[in-house]
Amino acid sequence: MKSKDTGNVCDEQVFDTLFKANSKTIFNYIYYKFGNEEKAYDAVQEAFLKLWENCAKVPPAKAKSYVYTVANNLYLNVIKAEKVRLKYADKSLKTTQEDPEFLMEESEFKQKLDKALNALPENQRLTFLLHRIDGKKYAEIAEMEGISVKAIEKRMHLALKSLREKIEGI
Amino acid sequence: MQENYLAKWLNGDLRDAELAEFKNSDEYASYKRIVDATDSMQAPEFNADRAYQALKNRRELQDNKVVKLRPFRKFLRVAAAAAVLVMGSYIYLNLSNETISTSYAENKEITLPDQSKVVLNADSEIYYSASNWDKKRNVDLKGEAFFKVAKGKRFTVATDAGNVIVLGTQFNVESRKGFFEVTCFEGLVSVSFNNKDTQLPAGSSFIAINGEIVEAAVPGTSVPSWMNNESSFKSVPLKYVLDEFERQHDIAVKTQNINLKQLFTGTFSNTDTDLALKSISVPSQIKFKFESDKVLFYGENTP
Repeated sequence: MKSKDTGNVCDEQVFDTLFKANSKTIFNYIYYKFGNEEKAYDAVQEAFLKLWENCAKVPPAKAKSYVYTVANNLYLNVIKAEKVRLKYADKSLKTTQEDPEFLMEESEFKQKLDKALNALPENQRLTFLLHRIDGKKYAEIAEMEGISVKAIEKRMHLALKSLREKIEGI
Repeated sequence: MQENYLAKWLNGDLRDAELAEFKNSDEYASYKRIVDATDSMQAPEFNADRAYQALKNRRELQDNKVVKLRPFRKFLRVAAAAAVLVMGSYIYLNLSNETISTSYAENKEITLPDQSKVVLNADSEIYYSASNWDKKRNVDLKGEAFFKVAKGKRFTVATDAGNVIVLGTQFNVESRKGFFEVTCFEGLVSVSFNNKDTQLPAGSSFIAINGEIVEAAVPGTSVPSWMNNESSFKSVPLKYVLDEFERQHDIAVKTQNINLKQLFTGTFSNTDTDLALKSISVPSQIKFKFESDKVLFYGENTP
């Protein structure tokens, strides 16, 4: 009965591909949520280990949402969110203006942005960052979270809105 | 503006007219700045190859376990079913009746169904019925134990030599061959010995040696000495002292040319064998030497 066409998760190659395609996103997903790198790394390990254990029962098409669900459930209400620390890529510093006042204002802005990001509810923060940093589509994030695209849009809207309000002190 | 227009804008889904309107708004510049800044952010490093290698290692560990078990699965199922049956009948027949014993040089602490505590000294055994406990608090004792009885119905310690009946208190019972001792540390206990009841208030002892009630010294401690890893005696025939030494140190004792009825008063350690040997031999003016796994106590005059 089991179809040969899509392959089997127990197949080393299928599993390998799934890992390469999703591990980084799971890592980021947990990191954006809780701000803890170690926990994010463990979540990747646990999620894929579980997938391997149940490889015969999980069809390849469901494997992706399976690992997200496992990773997500792992820390359900267990850990308290820590501070998310993100690096700014050099490209933002490649500015022709070297006016010290501008630079100072720029770094002040980044500090405020960091603070505002950390003040966001976990769900909003991870949705916003998965979209902006990882370039995930709303539909993909919706699948990870197991909610509708509309709900994701709502989160994005609220996230950006409150970021601005916090930064500008409105 | 439509619902969630910020999300639509971020996704490039705003219609031209709306986009123009949004760009004209006061907030646009600050939204744009936030988005530009976040777009230049980077998540922490994640080494996927290394993570995959670590995962493979863990997977192998698990696979090994699973593979080993597979051929036996059927057998395991049958074995598990059989085990359940055996355990079930065992529990049904035996669990309600508990027997707990200690060997030489071993102590055990037991909590009874009503939270009463029993500490068993070496080479001792208690037996009680857990299912019947609510109706009858009865413990059969061989050897020596300290009891800390929770308040409640009458609590009986039955021994070969006699019974000890209390309501809730702390006491020690020792019932060895020819030697029966009860010490009450708190409350009041009733000792029934040879059809005669003796009321024992806190801080007193009852001792019978070879069926004869003996004058007992007053214990100066709040728990029996053996619970502090010592064995204490006050005017006790040497025979019982040496028996206790055997139990505590798990070493066979032989005697030669010694008056075993000689009374001994003193304390020996239950943990330090050398020290214990000296504690017994010096005051009794006897000597000792090791003979393979035995200890021989002998009189001064023996060659």
